Amino acid sequence: MSRKIIQIDMNRVEGDVDFQLELEGSRIVDARCVGSLYRGFEQILLGRKPMDALVMTPRICGICGTAQLNAAVLALEHLARLPVPPAAMRIRNLCLMAETVQSDLRQSFLFFTADFCHPKYRSLPLYDKARAAFLPFQGEIYRGALEHSRHIVEIIALFGGQWPHSSYMVPGGVTTPASSRHLIDGLSLLNKLTRWFEKSVIGTPLDDWLALQSADEFFDWLEAGEAHADSAIGLLTRMSREIGLHRLGCGTPHMISYGAYDDPEDVENFSPYRKRLFKAGFLNGDAGSIEPFDQNEITEHVRYSWFLPYPGGRHPFQGQTVPDYQPHSDRYTWCKAPRYRDKVVQTGPLADALIDGEPLIHALYRAEGGNAWLRQFARLHRTARLLKAMSQLLHELAAHPGEPHILPPADKEIPDGEGFGLVTAARGALGHWLQVRDGVISRYQVITPTAWNASPKDSEGRHGHWESSLIGLTVEDPDDPVEIGHIIRSHDPCLVCTVHLLDTGKRLTVWP
Amino acid sequence: MTALLWLQTGSCGGDTMSMLCADSPSLEDLVDEYGIEVLWQPSLSMEPMKKLDVLIEAILADRQALDVLCIEGSIITGPDGSGMYDPYRGRSKMSLVRELVEKAEYVVAMGTCAAYGGVHAAPPNPTDCLGLQFDKKNPGGLLPIEWRSRKGLPVINISGCPAHPNAMTKTLAMLASGLPVELDHLNRPKAFFNTMVHQGCTRIEYHEYDVEDAEFGNKACLFFNLGCQGPMTVAICNTELWNGRSSKTRAGVPCFGCTSPDFPLDHDLFRTEKIGEVPVHLPLDVARSNYMAYKSLAHEAAPLRVLNKKMDP
Ligand code: SF4
Ligand code: SF4
Repeated sequence: MSRKIIQIDMNRVEGDVDFQLELEGSRIVDARCVGSLYRGFEQILLGRKPMDALVMTPRICGICGTAQLNAAVLALEHLARLPVPPAAMRIRNLCLMAETVQSDLRQSFLFFTADFCHPKYRSLPLYDKARAAFLPFQGEIYRGALEHSRHIVEIIALFGGQWPHSSYMVPGGVTTPASSRHLIDGLSLLNKLTRWFEKSVIGTPLDDWLALQSADEFFDWLEAGEAHADSAIGLLTRMSREIGLHRLGCGTPHMISYGAYDDPEDVENFSPYRKRLFKAGFLNGDAGSIEPFDQNEITEHVRYSWFLPYPGGRHPFQGQTVPDYQPHSDRYTWCKAPRYRDKVVQTGPLADALIDGEPLIHALYRAEGGNAWLRQFARLHRTARLLKAMSQLLHELAAHPGEPHILPPADKEIPDGEGFGLVTAARGALGHWLQVRDGVISRYQVITPTAWNASPKDSEGRHGHWESSLIGLTVEDPDDPVEIGHIIRSHDPCLVCTVHLLDTGKRLTVWP
Repeated sequence: MTALLWLQTGSCGGDTMSMLCADSPSLEDLVDEYGIEVLWQPSLSMEPMKKLDVLIEAILADRQALDVLCIEGSIITGPDGSGMYDPYRGRSKMSLVRELVEKAEYVVAMGTCAAYGGVHAAPPNPTDCLGLQFDKKNPGGLLPIEWRSRKGLPVINISGCPAHPNAMTKTLAMLASGLPVELDHLNRPKAFFNTMVHQGCTRIEYHEYDVEDAEFGNKACLFFNLGCQGPMTVAICNTELWNGRSSKTRAGVPCFGCTSPDFPLDHDLFRTEKIGEVPVHLPLDVARSNYMAYKSLAHEAAPLRVLNKKMDP
């Protein structure tokens, strides 16, 4: 059987990612996920003052800077054992949620659904509706997403001054309290988005939609009238299922979630031992059980990465990031290979929902497994949950006027020691591990969500999650492998990424 | 029609994200109202990557006009001058950019990285990166300082980390409508870089009377203790608000001077460097002796509502 290698380039926010796929006939037999851009953040942080991480690390990623900031401040607070008042936790949560909503809307409707406008689907009955909704710059949902994702980050600007890239979470709290002016502005912004989401994305009042708990309830809802079937999520679901995305792109069965949003009621505990509003855990795909999460179980391998080799895996506190660019060896990427309990895992909204025990996502997962459609569906389901949670947060802030938004640390310097900050960014598990010696940063290791999902092979030769979700896939037309586009995009490779796909070097597909 | 090509080099994508937030004009406005044709934008173009190859080929062969070339991100020259820490199809982006700039009527650096090197060029500059026409504040980057685009302008530097959304879209609208773009000594459009961040900061009431915060989360000025670069930095953050709402200094976050070629500064970013009681860096062009005299007088005159920090910023 003929073997050939095709190269697929994708675009970026957090580095560049390409895929090299090896096809045997029409079946993918090997996949290499290549992170091709090296920026050297971990080295730039060495020798700087610990607080500088609050300015430098948001610049790791233009789309999840708030999550990076939060991870950095939690690492500092963990190291220095600093308490944070409830109002600060609420403001932080509100801003993190706004960033995630922004990202999920953009990922879903600027990047994922555009694929449904591909001429290949011309003969499908839903094609015209899909184009009217999702066509770049013209579709109604596309334009709505552009508009509303722009406004929701104004909530972050109210508290942080700007989005992207501010540094308003500081050790002990946040820099600005929630004044009544901010709260009303925040509510107005949120309400506007929620009304659009109800009208255009789910075609149903938010609470009714969130009340759907079983697969049957969901599919009955989908059938019950045009408002549901032709809502953005209705169209997305029906198109996906017509194409068969509910059967593709499962990848590794193991999942992790760090949990999301510190519980403001839990004032007893310091980060990272504080309770979270969305639970942390490890979904053991072999046993089918959800087990407690322990960051000690994380290691990173570099066997197939362009870093100075070391044997096996290392915990980030022992981590080492020394570039060793070897383009002509069997090493192929600037991503390390993170493993949890030595297993390949996936992270992201699907993992988060399952580990948190969200009933509808659980039911759909039990019915069909963790496929490309469900991954995308889980992302938008999260948006609905977050809109509700944000409204609750704003009301809680309003109910506690004048409470402190910061407990200024007694000691102005961050002491020597180590700490970590684990958060849930839009794409999943994000961690910062920080060590301070002689008053300056002596080690800083970051594991981004994409690092988990885009992982290369590890020292045992086990493929990363994206790689394994492509291996075994049969590509209908290797010259125009649209299905790969859907699968990779369902993983939200780099939130803002357009996954530039469908390119075999042989034929140019010009569309829309 | 104004044909625009946007390339990302060593970047975090923050300038693209920032531009998606522009509202005056918005991205849609640029397309709908200003006749900007986006040939390629990595986050927005839905066409396969192959289209970019074909476009680049056509531009280099003068078969496709290129009115505006936007570069987002530091120009990475490592390792060893090869640029291969940031490759594009087996070659370096660095070399691709060098060829493309010669074909562009205008070249615009979107963000401090592309303009001066930015955060990736902070010591030890692990990827040996620099800006398009500057290396930090030194003239000459990827291109020599004398370099001019086809329309006779140097690289237009819309610095900022990220660049201000409306500074980006307004500059593009100006170019598309044929309005003149006047530049300052660092090749930044004066329309956006002739205002101190300090102008319009809502903490100015405190600055004026020399009432300074010593810890975060408070109401007063951040200049004397908490590292604010507002009086030394030109940018429109406080005259054209971010996301239509606010600015870092309004929200109690010091200005880090991210539009300046030396961003990020090498020292503690949250602490003001001082000699004795006096900041090492004073407001732009102010003489030390005059400044101190003025400050102590101002403090004497401070009303209680300011001294007691009763005023909201
Ligand atoms: S200038 Fe700032 S926002 Fe722009 S790419 Fe560089 S780090 Fe990102
Ligand atoms: S906080 Fe900064 S920008 Fe604002 S008044 Fe003080 S020095 Fe000026």
